[in-house]
Amino acid sequence: MSATDAPVQSSPTRPAKPPVSWKLLAGGALFVLISWWAGSGRFGVGFSAPELLSGFERGQRILEDLLNPRWQAWRGLIGPFIETLRIAVLAALIGCSAAFGMALLTSRVSAPGLRSFLAGKAVLNVVRSIPDLLYAMVFVAVFSIGPLAGIVALILFNIGVVGKLTSETIDGIDTGPLEAAQAAGASHTQVIRTSVVPSVLPNYVAYSLYAFELNLRASLVVGFVGAGGIGQVLFVALNGFRYDVVSLIVICIFVIVFLVESVSIALRRRLV
Amino acid sequence: MIRFDNVTLDYAGGVRALDDVSLDIDAGELVVVVGLSGAGKSSLVRAINGLVRPSAGTIEVDGREVGSASPAELREIRSDIGMIFQGFNLVKRTSVLNNVLMGRLHVVPRWRTLLGMYPAADVEVAMQALERVEIVDKAYVRASNLSGGQQQRVGIARALAQEPKVILADEPVASLDPPTSHVVMRDLQQINRELGITTVVNLHFLDLARAYGDRIIGLRAGRIVFDGPGSEADEQVFEDIYGRSLTADDVLQAKAEL
Amino acid sequence: MTIPQTPTHTPPRVRTTTASATRPERPRRYGPLGLALTLLAAGLWAAWTSGIDLAAVLRGPQAFVRILALMFLPPDASAIPGALSGMVESLQIAWIGTIIGALISLPLGLLAAKNVGGRISPTVSRQVLNLLRSLPELVLAILFVSMIGLGPLAGTLAIGLGSIGTLGKLTAEVVEGIDRGPIEASEAVGGGRFQVLRWGVLPQAMPEIIAFWLYRFEINVRASAILGLVGAGGIGGMLANFLSYRRYGSAGTAILIVIATTIAIDIASSRIRRRIITGKSATKHSLEPLAQVVTP
Repeated sequence: MSATDAPVQSSPTRPAKPPVSWKLLAGGALFVLISWWAGSGRFGVGFSAPELLSGFERGQRILEDLLNPRWQAWRGLIGPFIETLRIAVLAALIGCSAAFGMALLTSRVSAPGLRSFLAGKAVLNVVRSIPDLLYAMVFVAVFSIGPLAGIVALILFNIGVVGKLTSETIDGIDTGPLEAAQAAGASHTQVIRTSVVPSVLPNYVAYSLYAFELNLRASLVVGFVGAGGIGQVLFVALNGFRYDVVSLIVICIFVIVFLVESVSIALRRRLV
Repeated sequence: MIRFDNVTLDYAGGVRALDDVSLDIDAGELVVVVGLSGAGKSSLVRAINGLVRPSAGTIEVDGREVGSASPAELREIRSDIGMIFQGFNLVKRTSVLNNVLMGRLHVVPRWRTLLGMYPAADVEVAMQALERVEIVDKAYVRASNLSGGQQQRVGIARALAQEPKVILADEPVASLDPPTSHVVMRDLQQINRELGITTVVNLHFLDLARAYGDRIIGLRAGRIVFDGPGSEADEQVFEDIYGRSLTADDVLQAKAEL
Repeated sequence: MTIPQTPTHTPPRVRTTTASATRPERPRRYGPLGLALTLLAAGLWAAWTSGIDLAAVLRGPQAFVRILALMFLPPDASAIPGALSGMVESLQIAWIGTIIGALISLPLGLLAAKNVGGRISPTVSRQVLNLLRSLPELVLAILFVSMIGLGPLAGTLAIGLGSIGTLGKLTAEVVEGIDRGPIEASEAVGGGRFQVLRWGVLPQAMPEIIAFWLYRFEINVRASAILGLVGAGGIGGMLANFLSYRRYGSAGTAILIVIATTIAIDIASSRIRRRIITGKSATKHSLEPLAQVVTP
């Protein structure tokens, strides 16, 4: 505080410093508490340095195997990888198409009526809340082991992801053109086709690309529960304690995802 | 052509936009509605094509009642009424032609609009509308690449493509600079005179109102306080409508000199 | 004041009433058609070569409904305590895992941001983050279970490591999108690297970054519910067991608990995220929640 400030005759009184929000403090305390509980050895996951160290020590031998991938086995992986690709492609095509319809239904802007909107939103929320692998597990029980289970599972997964993202985009569009279409006497479907679809199409395509990426990563592992693809080979290798094969598969998965993701990101950037 | 019979319009929250308004507009008239923001002029214009519904009274357009129309009837009525908006309301990401074709939506079968396959006859109507506003060379240009004045002309073309009996304009020039505003108002005036389409325009620039309106309706607090030819509307009349002295904001010319 | 008479304005162009401009030719666009055809071809190839039996597909809905009935009409109530404790463990895994991911991704994200990280480290960090993103969580879980044994710790590490990549990338994007102004201001008053970060960068970026952490937590809850499948702790292992032993009633209970928990967390997280992003004022980068802690 500078002492040379000339006091002004009618200087306003300084406001009191606002107290720190008690909500923030309470939230912070709660956070620390939960974290301590969740991480503790007794009630939680046991996240501590000694645990980690002893864990890694126990896994020494396995680690060695993991670091020596069995390169010769790559030929056997080609077929399963192609199956993985098929699952991803089909699920993306069918799932993203259905997702668009779902998105139209669950956006305030484009929903045909209140009841269908609420019903659609409820369904979409449930569909979204189920993890992709859980779908795979369930559909393996329905269709028995094989890629069909994986495809159906990922279709539903796609609908959840792309549906929600597209629906939020539709919520955010400029409603001016919609009003113009209505003022010209257009029906509801016509309004959507001429005013909503062109406005959200680039975003929708970007989301679908993103979903395809997610699909590929998911389809790599759905085989683990029997839904086809490379995951199945992974499962067999793991059960046979063939960590060298596991290592090879992991490396291949890694490379593929990395490549697909780079391409997808580049494509998406040019879209939106 | 347009008749308001004791129309009162309330919005949720207790706002009374129109208070027992009655008026008759004949076919082929060019009417300009003036008044302060909130005086009800936007509600008046939007009530004509049912974008807002009256709380009491009836509104008739070409003999058909708007307030009690079913959704299907309303679409039918609206297809004969073209509307031009302050914000242009074009679909930015698509071409000018596609925007104008939106004026043909009511007559084109639904499946054709879904596929985007408009019949040649309707495309012809759209092209002619674009020719009338002299912007047909931009037919395949993306709407967002046009200037404000050009976008509004596309808006006019869209309304014309409906082959309407009535054209409504809700503050069509509020977002435009003075020279462009005159171009747009002149277009509307020409369309009214050459095609005989009844035109109702909402304006808050008083010099424009006097220059282009055959008939001026002044609204204040939801009531009609003036209804007569432009020649009778002098400063005193406008001050009555506004309920205050006029300022430079009320006049387009002043803006141009800025 | 007087309203001026409008002088006749000569419009900028010569106007005629007959059609003067010629109609342009309709442009031919092959892009969308080509895309549609490629997609169709890909779809047909995939469907054809997959060897999927159409009969099996048609039988599907019936089998699906049957299993749904077994699962949910009614679900096995006796499985509730076990499933709940499994879900709680999954939540713990997601919680700690997200914290690990957030803490590590923050410095990495800052390093990867072109406007903060300097010259070389953004490109390097970006690649590291991309690499980290490439592994599905399940695979990470398998690796960690192999390395340190069964149990929730492996799951926590898997979630943590799996989150770093995405969170780091999103953090970098947020940081790259902030206003240059406060950074310049803190540099102008002579702030060093850390002070510029603390006063110029973080107050702007933190709300969005924290929102991403919360969003990642939502995703991690879903992921951790599954990881138990490979022995990494949580409700997943229980679920896999129920399904393979065809105890559909218990599976139904577990699934319902997963759905309910996920939806509840989603709702809570969205609310908190909305409050963080919009804050008490309407400015885009709201400082309110953080500012109270940051200002001395």
